[in-house]
Amino acid sequence: MRTIASFILPLIIVLIPLYGLIKKVHVYEVFVDGAKEGFHIAVRIIPYLVAILFAIGMFRESGAMEFFMMALAPVLGFLGFPVELVPMAIFRPLTGSGSVGVLAEMIATYGEDALVVKMAATMFGSTETTFYVIAVYFGAISIRQVKYSVQTGLIADLAGIITSVIVVRILFG
Amino acid sequence: MLNYIWAGLIIISLIFAVTQDITDLVQDPYQNGKEHSIEVIFPENGDPDKRQNVRFRIKGHEGTFEAAWRPYEDNPEMIISVDEDMPELWLDIARDQDSPTEEELLAEVVAFDRATRQAEIVLPEVYYVKLNAIATAAFNMAEFAVTLAIGLVGIMALWLGLMKIAEKSGLMYLLVKAVQPFMRFLFPNVPRGHAAHGVISLNMAANMLGLGNAATPLGIKAMEELQKLNPSKNRASNAQCMLLTVNTASIQLLPPATLVALIGTGVNELMISILIVTFISLLVGITAAKIYERFHPEDEHDENIPEDQKRED
Repeated sequence: MRTIASFILPLIIVLIPLYGLIKKVHVYEVFVDGAKEGFHIAVRIIPYLVAILFAIGMFRESGAMEFFMMALAPVLGFLGFPVELVPMAIFRPLTGSGSVGVLAEMIATYGEDALVVKMAATMFGSTETTFYVIAVYFGAISIRQVKYSVQTGLIADLAGIITSVIVVRILFG
Repeated sequence: MLNYIWAGLIIISLIFAVTQDITDLVQDPYQNGKEHSIEVIFPENGDPDKRQNVRFRIKGHEGTFEAAWRPYEDNPEMIISVDEDMPELWLDIARDQDSPTEEELLAEVVAFDRATRQAEIVLPEVYYVKLNAIATAAFNMAEFAVTLAIGLVGIMALWLGLMKIAEKSGLMYLLVKAVQPFMRFLFPNVPRGHAAHGVISLNMAANMLGLGNAATPLGIKAMEELQKLNPSKNRASNAQCMLLTVNTASIQLLPPATLVALIGTGVNELMISILIVTFISLLVGITAAKIYERFHPEDEHDENIPEDQKRED
């Protein structure tokens, strides 16, 4: 599978211009024409990304996380959800780098083979940084009213978080 | 919703920072203003009236530490090089002080006995650690956001260029025809044969293979295609919400590279669990989006948007 993945990118990059050439498209000119939008899109994303990231950065530094962990511990313990996973569950939709940090810390604390680490890794691997995706995708087309997409994104994340615990417990527990 | 979450993050940060800092004011964990007794060890023939590097011993603590001795007219100062063998309290102060460096502590010598070389020093006072921390985080992240966005320029340009060729050459059309049935279900409002279907399928494929570098530009391109069909300029359409949901749930056949870097070969074992979980979360996400769609009929015209938000960018 990994081999396919390493082949596929170069293949696409070569195949598209090649096909264009066969179809007598002025590939170079067309490429440049399309590529020049890249800069504008990146710049257009900046305000959205700043808005999302600075708020998340503040939240991360404020120490609110520790409080939520303490507050949620009894409820989650009752439900059979490991408390150690709370930082991952909260950080995963918010920040990519933050959740990498959480996972690295968990590996250092509990070891690679611990069940909670497997759960956290599954959580990390199976969901995306929802708020980053919202900022980038909607920022690129200057959409500010995101309608229900935050809800659906978070619902999908929640489903991922819960099933991670269940599936890992069934497979490795 | 996003408005509340966003404001909530900021307000919660402030509340927690203030609470923590007030607790610190009451409990005084840094023992602000406390005089610490030390014994200064000057080099041989060292004259306390001259600038020089000295070592010193902290009363009741093992070992000697380095510092620069700075005699001034009133009180001398010591620039202490932070050492991990120092008392916990000193390290905490060094870490949390309001100074650009954690490596040095600037201490004021309030009493110095020339005969015995005993001194009393006061370490920097530490106040409002959390408030400073969240402010710094806000500035740093704002800067980081720009780095992140600018970092996208090159890859964006590459993929947008390639997509343009694919469009012009008709390759996109072939792809669109292939993925049509599945796409018609997810994005019923996108007309048959529209380029959006092709770009979306490429975006999904990139996600599945864990090719983050390609997935983002392709996703943005797909959003642009959907925006062409969106009657409203700054309100997301149902199709765009669906695309976003699919991307946040992102079905992954291959784990992302970061995960491989973190747990190495152990990731093979996790492949199955990731695959199952990502599939379930994708299904839940799509179902949720489909349900929400029913309650949010597509905007007909731009008029549906309140007057104050109608401005164009």
